[in-house]
Amino acid sequence: MADTRDPSSMKRFQPPPPKPDATGTPPDRDAVRQETVQRIKRLRSKSNRGLWAMALFIAVSIVALGDFSILPPLPPSIRAALGKAPSAVMISGGLVLYTFSAIILILSRMMGGKEEYSGFAHVGYLAAFYGFYHFAKALNENFWAVFVAGITILGLESYHIWNFCNEAIRREQEVLDSIERLRKS
Amino acid sequence: MLKSFAAKATVPPAIAVTGFVVVCCILLYSVIKTDMLNDAIEHETNLAGTIVKSARYAMLKDDRETLRNIIDNIGQQKGVEHTRIFNKKGVIMFSAHTEDVNKLVDKKAAGCIACHTGPVPLTSMGRMEQARRYINEQGHSVIAITVPIYNEPDCFNAACHVHSPNLKLLGTLDIGLSEEPLQKTLGTLRGRMIVFCVMVLILTVGGVSALLLRNVLLPIKELANYVAAIKRGDANRKAPAYRDEIGELACSFEEMATRLKATQSEPEQLRSAEGDGADSRS
Repeated sequence: MADTRDPSSMKRFQPPPPKPDATGTPPDRDAVRQETVQRIKRLRSKSNRGLWAMALFIAVSIVALGDFSILPPLPPSIRAALGKAPSAVMISGGLVLYTFSAIILILSRMMGGKEEYSGFAHVGYLAAFYGFYHFAKALNENFWAVFVAGITILGLESYHIWNFCNEAIRREQEVLDSIERLRKS
Repeated sequence: MLKSFAAKATVPPAIAVTGFVVVCCILLYSVIKTDMLNDAIEHETNLAGTIVKSARYAMLKDDRETLRNIIDNIGQQKGVEHTRIFNKKGVIMFSAHTEDVNKLVDKKAAGCIACHTGPVPLTSMGRMEQARRYINEQGHSVIAITVPIYNEPDCFNAACHVHSPNLKLLGTLDIGLSEEPLQKTLGTLRGRMIVFCVMVLILTVGGVSALLLRNVLLPIKELANYVAAIKRGDANRKAPAYRDEIGELACSFEEMATRLKATQSEPEQLRSAEGDGADSRS
């Protein structure tokens, strides 16, 4: 029977680390050890993703702080095609809803112990908020609101992925310790 | 430190609550500031309209002395930074600052450019477009309003006047009020919102941390001390008594320690029993 499970949902769960086979031959143990070391390396680099997203967001914020003056102005034809910018109150309402739902989603992911990380997507959403405020000519008044929202969301995301990776590394380390114990015995 | 149980339990809610409350407060302050500024502009536009209506009769009668007095008196009012009337060509005819009279206004300056961008100047504007905000030469923040003085039938039909009926605009009243009272109110509001934010944060983060410490962390610490004592061989120690999951865990540990003690004492009892049997036989 074909497996009908969604492959993307399967990605969310951390597969349990393979237990070292006590009866395994030394070459098997070496292969498991190599795989475990590789996984630890991957987890270590993954735990730094939060910091990269945070650095990217701070770079976008620095550009936004200068009202995007370092970027070339939008051609009038594109500006006209985009239409009238939404009001600052509408954008602020959207920002509150977005911040609230993002925090709830991250906290629920933390509770469920899921691996999923969406820090870079959040940098995109936050940059869009900067853009909306810029076109509504209200960026000066609302810059700090977007900045604090970004730091909060990305801070939570970073803490979540860092914590998740550290726990996974600890589990992998236990596997390595078991292999070492078996080797000595 | 961040790997501890206490940090895992308190850091995410602390970041979430702090961030969300701060974002909401900044947005609320921004909305209130915009509303207050719009109210101030509305109020100032009404004031400018009242001045134009008050000066209308003096203008109709070409009574320049009365008009000058009206402008001077308004200019002396506290909070009024400037009051002036300039004609269609942009020459200041009346001003509360006498040194400005007969000077030509720069059409590219803020407040003029809005109407004078195109080849033909605009003759009417929306209420909010009539306002401009700037810092004057004295370093004061000012909200200024320009109100057009239109040519009416009474104006071009009067015997003393020379205006053509084709003219739509005769001049402009420009009044600037200090932003200081508004900024003071906003400063007070800002301070109160910061105090409110800090109080909310202390209550939520502090409350969650205190409850967590009292109900989870301290019992776990007591349980850890109890298990450490058992490990050291202190089997007589009593398990911490709680009526929750930690209490159940402590009871299980206590039971385990009792069984361990019994298992450890069993060979000794057997040995002593064997010794007693040998003595009786001999």
